[in-house]
Amino acid sequence: MSKTHYLLFMLLTMSMTYSACSSDEECCDPEIIESPSFDREAMLKDWADDIVIPSFENYSEALGVLKSANETFISAPTIANLESLRSRYIEAYASWQSVSLFDIGKAESIALRNFSNIYPTSIDKITSNITAGGYNLELPSNFVAQGFPALDYLMYGMADDDEEIVEIYNDAKYATYLTEVINRLDALANEVLADWKGSYREDFIANQASSATGSIDKLVNDAIFYYEKFLRAGKIGIPAGVFSGNTISDAVEAPYSGIYSKQLFDEGLNSFQDFFNGKSLSRSDIKSLRHYLDAVDAQKDGVMLSQLINNQIDKARTKSNELDDNLKQQVVGDNAKMLETYDELQKVVVLLKVDMLQALNIKVDFVDADGD
Amino acid sequence: MNHKILPLLLLITVSFLIVSCEKDEQPAIVDPNPEVVAPDGYSFSRDGNSTVSFSGQTTRIGMATELVFAMSDFSSAKSQLIEMYANQTADGADANPFENEVYNESSKSVKSKVAASQDFFSSNTSESAVIKADFESWISAQVNEVFPAENKIANPGTAGQVADGSSVRYVNAQGLEYNQAVNKGLIGALMLDQIVNNYLSPAVLDASENIIENDNGTVADGKSYTTMEHKWDEAYGYLFGFSNTPEDPISSIGSEDNFLNKYLGRVEDDPDFAGIAVKIYDAFLLGRAAIVGQDYDLRDKQAEIIKQELSKVIAIRAVYYLQQGKNGIPADGDMNAYGSAFHDLSEGFGFVYSLRFTHDTNANQSYFSSEEVTAMINDLTVGNGFWDVTPEKLDELSETIAAKFDFTVAQAGE
Repeated sequence: MSKTHYLLFMLLTMSMTYSACSSDEECCDPEIIESPSFDREAMLKDWADDIVIPSFENYSEALGVLKSANETFISAPTIANLESLRSRYIEAYASWQSVSLFDIGKAESIALRNFSNIYPTSIDKITSNITAGGYNLELPSNFVAQGFPALDYLMYGMADDDEEIVEIYNDAKYATYLTEVINRLDALANEVLADWKGSYREDFIANQASSATGSIDKLVNDAIFYYEKFLRAGKIGIPAGVFSGNTISDAVEAPYSGIYSKQLFDEGLNSFQDFFNGKSLSRSDIKSLRHYLDAVDAQKDGVMLSQLINNQIDKARTKSNELDDNLKQQVVGDNAKMLETYDELQKVVVLLKVDMLQALNIKVDFVDADGD
Repeated sequence: MNHKILPLLLLITVSFLIVSCEKDEQPAIVDPNPEVVAPDGYSFSRDGNSTVSFSGQTTRIGMATELVFAMSDFSSAKSQLIEMYANQTADGADANPFENEVYNESSKSVKSKVAASQDFFSSNTSESAVIKADFESWISAQVNEVFPAENKIANPGTAGQVADGSSVRYVNAQGLEYNQAVNKGLIGALMLDQIVNNYLSPAVLDASENIIENDNGTVADGKSYTTMEHKWDEAYGYLFGFSNTPEDPISSIGSEDNFLNKYLGRVEDDPDFAGIAVKIYDAFLLGRAAIVGQDYDLRDKQAEIIKQELSKVIAIRAVYYLQQGKNGIPADGDMNAYGSAFHDLSEGFGFVYSLRFTHDTNANQSYFSSEEVTAMINDLTVGNGFWDVTPEKLDELSETIAAKFDFTVAQAGE
């Protein structure tokens, strides 16, 4: 037989086997086929150079702009300057959503996310820090008194109307605190960016081992952890009362400005899906997890797993588009829609945590323990 | 048979009956132990009044709850915390340290029942005093060592705060959270000890005239229960007393207090041990019914089940936290990443301490002697304590504990 005939015969046999088996659940669990054609090193390079570093560069730039808008506001507290400051703030907050996922390397070791976006923020802690002075923002006990959630309160929540808010920042104590929170966000972001552009990029790409400490294993775990805890639970599930039995409308992201909470969720969901699909600001052909899954022929119930994941994320997005721009009002007004969105988000978790990890032969490295 | 014999036999039988009826006060056929049947729920009464009462136990659970909570409040004064523990001032006068006025008015205290069981400490008051003092030392140390370090970052040899995910833990120089030591330590020294070494002990259940009184239905002064019934219920109260539905505590197991109820619920949630909560509850229920039915053998068999299974709960949680702590030790030694391990190891510390109060029904003493427990505690806290403890040591301690029971480290560890 010629090679072609042989190959065709093989394909025929395989497809006959497949179709004969396809109604029999037992035989068609995705087998782990290491595909020689998938370049793991290239994926790590593309991740570093085309997704992570550009995202941190954009984020750092947005913070730089926020810093100077703050200097303007502090030197002349007016409503116009407050509005400029607020615009820069929400741009930076939106940009944050594209880096939050990458809790690896320097970001992990300096606890970037804890210092940038733990919410709800603590009004008590912020107030006592400002009035007593002598605070140390590097302490874990001050996670809840800094970062974007603190800025949301400082710019929108300190008083009932903008004139009163502006008035407060004539007081040096308040001006100083606002400035320090912004400057610290900027300093931490720059520290992480410098590390990526310095030695970490090489370390990250070189660490191609298929093990819990390998870069791919770690970043995939980071992505799933981000999705489960910060996107699904943090932005939707916790405020909707999924874990507590009672809704907690104040637990939404950016509750004081209110109108940005849905936007921030959108940014987060988009960032996650773009990372999965290998889409960046400059390229849409990065070989990322979707391609990796396709290369190992990961399927579930006869459908490509990557397709299932994208379909379900799209479903969750469609459902979330029924939500009000102000998620706090959504919780109070019609929480059922929050729960429906949560349910669609939840369906992705199984596909990621069970099917995707199994297909890529990666072990989950975090425990969803209830703690105590 | 000859048909003439039958009437004679009949006559003889009837005459026996008559004779026996005349001579005996009781009916001729008596079953001293009619089969005891447990009721549907933990609900017992006499003449229409409930005989179930465990207010002393719920009071102490409540006091312990407030104490542990206050230990995390940096504005608490040491004197107030010690008063919550002892429910009296340093010179023995009446104190009102609690938020709950009922506790302030009570004459009961946590301290008086710490290491106070009949079986283990009635003739061992010296060890009891050491244990009572341990709790006091942890409470004092919280104020002396940890409160002043509120705004310091913890380091080996320096008390302070550490991040545990997005939470904050406040630890001593060895990485131990004193509030966890008190919380989990009281589970053994107060709740477990009082149940398995005191209230379920024949020495308490059958003390003085309890059996005769229970046989005759003679109630305690001014109450509707016999003393024996009450002792059993007091054991029940330390486990299920805080439940919203104490007659049906299984429906809400695990969420009713921060002590034994909670951790029985956690063990129940582990598929390796599912069914343990019902097993213990059923034993409490049947044992209590046995008391009403005056079947003391049956009662004691149920007591054995409870002692064994509750002791096992403590051991399972000790291994669980040691293993979780081990898993949490940062692989790269990042000083800022120990918080999660410290939190688990602090809980493990308390449960290891509680092993002293377990009850091995085969040997009629605790599974671990006070020397053995002290050795394990020392292994955890020597030098810089949790900063230094190795995964190997934590595995060794886990194996030592599990070896005395019928479960494996793997089963309990996750």
